[in-house]
Amino acid sequence: MAPQFMVSHNLEALLERLRQYAEVHGPVRGDDGVVRFSALTPGILPDLSAIRTLLPPKKYLLHPQEIILSYTEKDGYQAPSEGARPLILFGLHSCDLAGINYLDQIFLGDDPDPLYAARRSAQTLIGVSCIPDEFCSCHLARSPLKPLSDLFFHHVEGGFAVTSSSPRGEELLEDVKDILEEREVNIPEDARRFFGQVASMRVRPELDAALPEWQELADCCLGCGACSLCCPTCYCFDVLEFSGLDGRSAERVRRWDNCLFKSHAQVAGGMSFRKDRAERFRYRYCHKYRGFGPLQGIPSCVGCGRCRVVCPAGLDLRPLAERLEAACRE
Amino acid sequence: MRRLRLAIAGLTACSGCQLSLLNCEDELPELFEKFEFHFFPMACSPALLTGQYDAALVEGCLSMPHENELLQELRRRSVYLIALGTCAICGGVAALRNGEERELLRQQVYGQHLVAGETFDPMPLQNVVQVDAAVSGCPPEKQELLRMLAGLVRGVLPVNIDYPVCTECRMKENLCLLMERNALCLGPVILGGCGARCPSLAVPCEGCRGALAEANLAEALEIYAQKGFDRQIVLERLRRFSPEWQQ
Ligand code: SF4
Ligand code: SF4
Ligand code: SF4
Ligand code: SF4
Repeated sequence: MAPQFMVSHNLEALLERLRQYAEVHGPVRGDDGVVRFSALTPGILPDLSAIRTLLPPKKYLLHPQEIILSYTEKDGYQAPSEGARPLILFGLHSCDLAGINYLDQIFLGDDPDPLYAARRSAQTLIGVSCIPDEFCSCHLARSPLKPLSDLFFHHVEGGFAVTSSSPRGEELLEDVKDILEEREVNIPEDARRFFGQVASMRVRPELDAALPEWQELADCCLGCGACSLCCPTCYCFDVLEFSGLDGRSAERVRRWDNCLFKSHAQVAGGMSFRKDRAERFRYRYCHKYRGFGPLQGIPSCVGCGRCRVVCPAGLDLRPLAERLEAACRE
Repeated sequence: MRRLRLAIAGLTACSGCQLSLLNCEDELPELFEKFEFHFFPMACSPALLTGQYDAALVEGCLSMPHENELLQELRRRSVYLIALGTCAICGGVAALRNGEERELLRQQVYGQHLVAGETFDPMPLQNVVQVDAAVSGCPPEKQELLRMLAGLVRGVLPVNIDYPVCTECRMKENLCLLMERNALCLGPVILGGCGARCPSLAVPCEGCRGALAEANLAEALEIYAQKGFDRQIVLERLRRFSPEWQQ
């Protein structure tokens, strides 16, 4: 099938059509200049020139803070009853798509997380091509993660070349056929080519705890957590239980956590696996550039650049990663 | 279930923390079911300390000998002593002029009149008694107060927060006033828990919840300096609620 082409000015019509199926969210620039994924209601157009949003789309799958269980004497612990509403995410870049692919592997694996699973299956993902800026690093490290989407819009002269890559995408494409046209277009290369690469991961030596860089990074880090909160593949969470005033009910809350926080590796008795920030940095590095647990060998960094953009201390792990990982590749 | 016996006292402070508790109007009936507000001079009279208390909630810092006596008495009589608000935790606003000549300060405020009794440099409760838990804020968040009380009903103390204001600010996807507006926002070094109340309204954090335990003050000062803020001004701002930041 020849690629489908959509002229730019049909964007609004397309969104209108998508809204017939579900709520549509995409990158919107607020009055304060911040670009956030938010509702594309009639009259609100996505900012497709923005390179990144402040928070990644993970906020739709794992809310920054949410009740995961409620307890009453009568019913015991109950999961939230609210069903996931269908949601179309429009304008996702390759890194964010790969980020969702990573989260899928964590939360839809052997023991799927029910909240995540429900939300994820109610989502339709529509990607848009992009060109890396100076904060991005997708082009520096080829990620084995797949930038999977239902539909993908490639920027081309005068509009978009639209391709589908799932049955749901096919269906949608069929339904909006009248605002597309078949046209021979040259689809230029985009950032998707940096993803889905076969990993040639040799077993890597342990990260050297004595490397002075860990301490140097720690000395500059404010511990604000922005780098992880804004990272599309940081999924650490804390679980807290708050009792009700009646003494007979409770709410269990899941909240985004951060491996740079003191409590992250703290266990009963006040003991801690990672007492100082330098150790925590090494841990963060390990997850971002090498992966761990069942996903060992799969770096979780998808190169979106958010951690660099939001760090008040301007920390950038790229030079260190270039050095340490290149040394392993040889 | 037996109602828990509470003692709620205010030392040197503005009574705002105690007021926040009284402002939990919707929850007051439920609170009365669970707690006996036995000693609460601000809200009920007569107020006499008798017997044992399940918990003492103490607002304010210590600046007069009789406050010390009351505090010791509360400590002796209570299973838990909980510091309520930033003044109780680190001295707060009352400790702003610590280190200066007290007699001079007294004269500046009261002139030559003979007033009040002896005072000393305001200090946090933990300088003289063991504090079992703390709820920060100037004043504390209603939700935190209620969670702390609900915890007491179940026999647990509140979890310490170990992240700064920035964390919740980023979770809310706010514009960063420090980075994007070059504003003197104290968020990175201030204890979180307020839901980044001020930056969420585009107002820089003034630091009312006090210092974060692991605050990287050196780096924060460096960043503020790069943004053109005078070191002294920054430190004065920081000390407004956290007098321990002397440099
Ligand atoms: S580590 Fe940084 S660049 Fe990599 S995915 Fe996370 S936020 Fe993006
Ligand atoms: S964003 Fe920067 S300062 Fe904040 S925790 Fe991450 S590395 Fe540290
Ligand atoms: S606005 Fe203030 S509190 Fe919010 S992230 Fe920036 S520095 Fe932190
Ligand atoms: S943002 Fe800062 S000043 Fe405002 S309530 Fe929170 S700690 Fe206090």
